[in-house]
Amino acid sequence: MIGSRYAFILAGGVGSRLCLLAERRAKPAVPFGGKYRIIDFTLSNCVNSGVYDVGVLTQYRPVSLNRHIGSGRPWDLDRLHGGVQILQPSPGADREWYLGTADAIYRNLVHLRRRRVDEVLVLSGDHVYTMDYNVLYAFHAANRATATVAVTEVPEDQVHHFGILETEPNGRVTGFLEKPKKASSRLASMGVYLFDRTRLIRWLVEDAAMDQSSHDFGKDLLPRLVARGEAVFAYRFNRYWQDVGTLDSYYESNLQLLSDKPPIALDDPDWIIHTQSADRPPVRFAPGSRVANSMIANGCRVEGAVERSILFPGVHVPPGAEVRDSIVMHDTRVGRGAWLDRVIIDKEVEIGEGARVGSGQVTSANLACPDHLSSGLTVVGKGAHVPDGIRIGRNARIGAYVRASSFGQDVPCGGVVDGPESKH
Amino acid sequence: MSDVMAVILSGGSGERLGVLTAERAVAALPFGGKYRVIDFCLSNCRHSDIVDVAIVTQHAPTSLHDHVGSGRSWDLDHRGGILILQPYTTRSHSGWYRGTADAITQNWDVIEERRPDRVLVLSGDHVYRMNYRALMETHVESGAAVTVAVTRVPPTETRRFGMATLGPEGRIEELVEKPERAATPFGSMGIYLFDYELLAERLRPRPVDLVLDVLRPAIADGVPVQAHEFEGYWEDVGTVGSYYRSNLELVAAAPRLALFDPRWPLLTRDEERPPVRVGDAARLEDSLVANGCRVDGVVRRSLLFPGVRVQAGAEIEDSIVMADGVVARDARVTRAIVDKYCRIGEGAVIGEPGSEDSGLTIVGKDAHVPARAHVAGGAVVGVGAREDDFAGGVIDAAERTPSRPWYQELV
Repeated sequence: MIGSRYAFILAGGVGSRLCLLAERRAKPAVPFGGKYRIIDFTLSNCVNSGVYDVGVLTQYRPVSLNRHIGSGRPWDLDRLHGGVQILQPSPGADREWYLGTADAIYRNLVHLRRRRVDEVLVLSGDHVYTMDYNVLYAFHAANRATATVAVTEVPEDQVHHFGILETEPNGRVTGFLEKPKKASSRLASMGVYLFDRTRLIRWLVEDAAMDQSSHDFGKDLLPRLVARGEAVFAYRFNRYWQDVGTLDSYYESNLQLLSDKPPIALDDPDWIIHTQSADRPPVRFAPGSRVANSMIANGCRVEGAVERSILFPGVHVPPGAEVRDSIVMHDTRVGRGAWLDRVIIDKEVEIGEGARVGSGQVTSANLACPDHLSSGLTVVGKGAHVPDGIRIGRNARIGAYVRASSFGQDVPCGGVVDGPESKH
Repeated sequence: MSDVMAVILSGGSGERLGVLTAERAVAALPFGGKYRVIDFCLSNCRHSDIVDVAIVTQHAPTSLHDHVGSGRSWDLDHRGGILILQPYTTRSHSGWYRGTADAITQNWDVIEERRPDRVLVLSGDHVYRMNYRALMETHVESGAAVTVAVTRVPPTETRRFGMATLGPEGRIEELVEKPERAATPFGSMGIYLFDYELLAERLRPRPVDLVLDVLRPAIADGVPVQAHEFEGYWEDVGTVGSYYRSNLELVAAAPRLALFDPRWPLLTRDEERPPVRVGDAARLEDSLVANGCRVDGVVRRSLLFPGVRVQAGAEIEDSIVMADGVVARDARVTRAIVDKYCRIGEGAVIGEPGSEDSGLTIVGKDAHVPARAHVAGGAVVGVGAREDDFAGGVIDAAERTPSRPWYQELV
């Protein structure tokens, strides 16, 4: 039925813990899984669940995301009725940006005005998971819920990263704690909400008028609803869900795709993850190439060695080069005899001949972002030029668009080489 | 009204491709690891800014329809999209296409309605990258009524081509079909640009063949027919040999045909598959492997189309394996063309390992070769073959198993 479902996707995320990867692009536009972007999972979930009317809310560095989504063609979202629409911020009377997730939806309520939907799906574009929202709708209806929050179980030592829900055995939510130090429950909100349309409008208008609110679903609106006894239910999702919020979790969840039983099936013909096609030829393997346990996308040319790594479209690994335990994004060119170990390399990087990136022991965390870059990964930003023969230690950060001339000598463990200031 | 309308001829039965074209048009043959042959023509049209495109179909058109769809993949889905010109009946007429000219004549009303200045006739069976605008420039500059694209062919190949004798300024003086020997090096590529009026007039007597009944009489009548020499790579993949060679040439060190040129990308329908997975024990050399493949065995000088699985211990050499094939443990595939959805059982041997001059082995679409069966070099396994077709486990060279309908197991 046309127009029976509508989803807002919050895609303005700053992704600060992803360091360089989300410096010049919104987190949902961060490349993932050898050819996808993080938002592909949510967009594909929508269309695979029959939700063909989608608004994507953008704010932080939206160009990469807008270019990726385009007319919505790969997701069959270029439609006469519905389809995908980018909902950019526009200054209200107070000329403010979106204050929180609830405020972002509040300021886009006009999109619900003429849509004949009974419920509104509010999603995040930051997460990797495959979920049939039909089951969520059915759960919501069966419980006569006014709001349903999808939850997933997280380890006890992780509860402080999440909104944690306390529930009755039937799923009714009795408590909502945002990032608690300790909690009796381990059910974390996935940032996937289904609301009764009328009530959502009422609640958002109410929240917008509250001075003391930070206008966030997790911090303000949902805890308030639970406290006043609204029919909020938790829908328990037992499959893989990953908030690839940190560099470490980004790296791990990508490399997990190389395990014998990957946590998410990228090749399920009944649940295709749609993405922009890159019009690239098949992967070309030359004589002398040695490849083991890796994922390599169309358009790559492999003449050297690749092991436990993920290569996005158009990467060239020439003779004598070695790539190990690494993620290398689109159109990066590795120089002859270069050697990469535990590195994340953004798009269109040039690695000089004989360069060694990710070399030596871990002796210190990154000097500029010690909190996010301390496990031994080295990150190279988009478009950087790494000079011939250089050694770059672990936990190092090489900024986007660095010229080879910006390097003095070798970069030690935890070192930082900043690129030119971003023009914006 | 547009300046040019392209008509792509894709109706031929492709008999010389045998079992590979039993269920598809030549233009729908998979090529180059992820493409179909017609992608070349359609990409050429798109990049030459020709948006008015029709495809003439007749033989086994299903796969071609599936592939072309609305023409979206080539940005040809606007202005009404790609037009399929299929054979049709009327109250007074029953019209299988008798030949290339007949196919165009039967659809003349459609072309008349669009009223282009010129009609570009192409063949969907050719592999090449060509800017048709250059051909159109030659046409305009020479003041010809017809322009024919020609390419230099080796003297040993003249019997595959219409050979054109050129006069001064590149006018075609004579066109001889498939001669044993020719004094001219120029072979016709089957690409013709006609002025609308001339084609309309020449189709009035209801000719059958475009070369024999239209072009040659026109030349004889003194109509200015110009040659446009094309110097790039061009191949007619109408035979098993040329199809195999032109594919395998793509895995050679410096292929003449570049599949990737950012200014002239070869466009195709997106299969939406994940990146290639390469396992721990895999070895890959001189090969093209498409997204969706999973390789745990050995692949040398071969092309694997999307979704092919090569299990541990399996070896594929000098072969083409089309989409979603499975080559099970310890199977060996040598100098073979394995069509879509085939399953090569454990330890089965297709072709002659170690032999460089045995004949090509062809395994038809959807065939299941049982474990440890032996299919000799030069043999043909029919479409949908099953265990019963392998009594004794051996298919000899020059033997062919029958083709079976897809619903054999349901009835």
